Amino acid sequence: MRLGMLINLVKCVGCYACAIKCKQEHFLPPGIAWGRLLISETGIYPKVTKQLYPVLCSHCKEAPCVKACPTGATRKREDGIVWIDQDKCVGCRYCLIACPYQVRSYYSEEREYFPHQGPTEFEEMRKRLYPLQTGVVLKCTFCLERIDSGIKQGLKPGVDREATPACVIICPAKARYFGDLDDPGSEISSLIMEKRAVQLHPEYGTDPSVYYVIG
Amino acid sequence: MIQTKPYEFMVKYTPQREWIEKRGIMLWLAFFFVELGAGAFIVSSVFGSLWGMFIGWFLCGVLGGGFHLLYLGHPFRFWRIILSHGWKTSWISRGLIFVGLFLILGAIHLILVQWASPVPGLLIAAGVFAFCTIVYVGFVMNYVNSIPLWNTPLLPVLYVILGIWGGLGVTLIALLATRDTAVVGSVEEWSRIFLLAFIFIVFIYLFSIRYQGPTGMTSVRQIVSGKWSPLFWVMVVVFGMVLPLGVALGSWLVGFAIPVGLLYLVVIFELLSDLALRYCILRYGLYAPLIPARI
Repeated sequence: MRLGMLINLVKCVGCYACAIKCKQEHFLPPGIAWGRLLISETGIYPKVTKQLYPVLCSHCKEAPCVKACPTGATRKREDGIVWIDQDKCVGCRYCLIACPYQVRSYYSEEREYFPHQGPTEFEEMRKRLYPLQTGVVLKCTFCLERIDSGIKQGLKPGVDREATPACVIICPAKARYFGDLDDPGSEISSLIMEKRAVQLHPEYGTDPSVYYVIG
Repeated sequence: MIQTKPYEFMVKYTPQREWIEKRGIMLWLAFFFVELGAGAFIVSSVFGSLWGMFIGWFLCGVLGGGFHLLYLGHPFRFWRIILSHGWKTSWISRGLIFVGLFLILGAIHLILVQWASPVPGLLIAAGVFAFCTIVYVGFVMNYVNSIPLWNTPLLPVLYVILGIWGGLGVTLIALLATRDTAVVGSVEEWSRIFLLAFIFIVFIYLFSIRYQGPTGMTSVRQIVSGKWSPLFWVMVVVFGMVLPLGVALGSWLVGFAIPVGLLYLVVIFELLSDLALRYCILRYGLYAPLIPARI
């Protein structure tokens, strides 16, 4: 099994719901975003082209971050998800430098959303439910907690909501698809073939698991 | 430097920041001292300067190692870098193993030379690992294929030359300070050879990067005409190339003996030039924009 994501840029409306939901799902502190929306404008008025690219960790098959990590803290699971063991990370940030997509963040110190006014309920909940260490690198996990608990319940990632990443569930334009790239019968595999989806910058040789439909 | 605002992130040329800003400064110093120390150890062992070897060991182990630890987010976990199996793929892990072996073997050799009799082969082994220490930083950076300024085989070569050249300077100072002047002339000659190699490799390196695509071209343009370009022109070119070359040519053509004070000054300028060049290379390590995508 190799889990992957397809983002249909034709459908994406650039509402940032995926990025916000990701922050909410993982109680991410200020300045840390696992999902981003890159917006580029080219040309001169009135002939302007705007490109919207939601980006997140590509969980690359040939992940340069996994090879760069000196402690084995960044690892790849059998289902293709690249994750970071916070207890093993030394905070050297080599993985962050090695990632060509720049989707990793270094959490240097505890930050509050409203400095000097105490933590919000959201931040209190993070400490209980999703404790993050400082001095380590963080990144998108494809919501592996949801996937693991869903699979335990006999659910299928990408098919059942409870076993699917939060950004896919929240997308109001239904621009995101999730599933097994190794299964030729899965919806995501069919769409990749049918829509001729492409990977972002394949020239880096990373074989990303996130595909884009560009038109 | 190129500033990217949040909405310009990876849409324009985006500089790496983690290895040069805030605590990243520690890594810049760590790379410098580790290579300088290892270079000084190798050169001093060739020229038989015990003090030079000790200074090299100190620079590499105490300053280089110390700055490395200060940089890490979790310095007390550094043992994981050595004891995990990271060395199979990670150049940082390999580098720390090289540094560790060099420091251990070097320390044993220095202790034996001072208080007992040296063991044959130990110095050679320490020298080999010292050389690996000089080499590893170049490979750490060379691995990053999305930063064209770093992703070139010339970078490890440049860093080897910088390490040995800096080591020659440190050895020269150690020899002059201990009034062990028998081999000063030879060290000076080698220093001039490495000065020419340094000048050659810097220009070849920058010239070749220009042809690695628009990102590489932008990096080079920023180095020579960006916000920090005075650092390159004044510290690297004037202090690191023109001044030492002028002193060497003056001594060679006119035949005057270079005063000791001037030698100290030239070595200090050379080391500052080394530091400045490393800063420029780290500062202007640019990533290509992810979009507009040409996929």
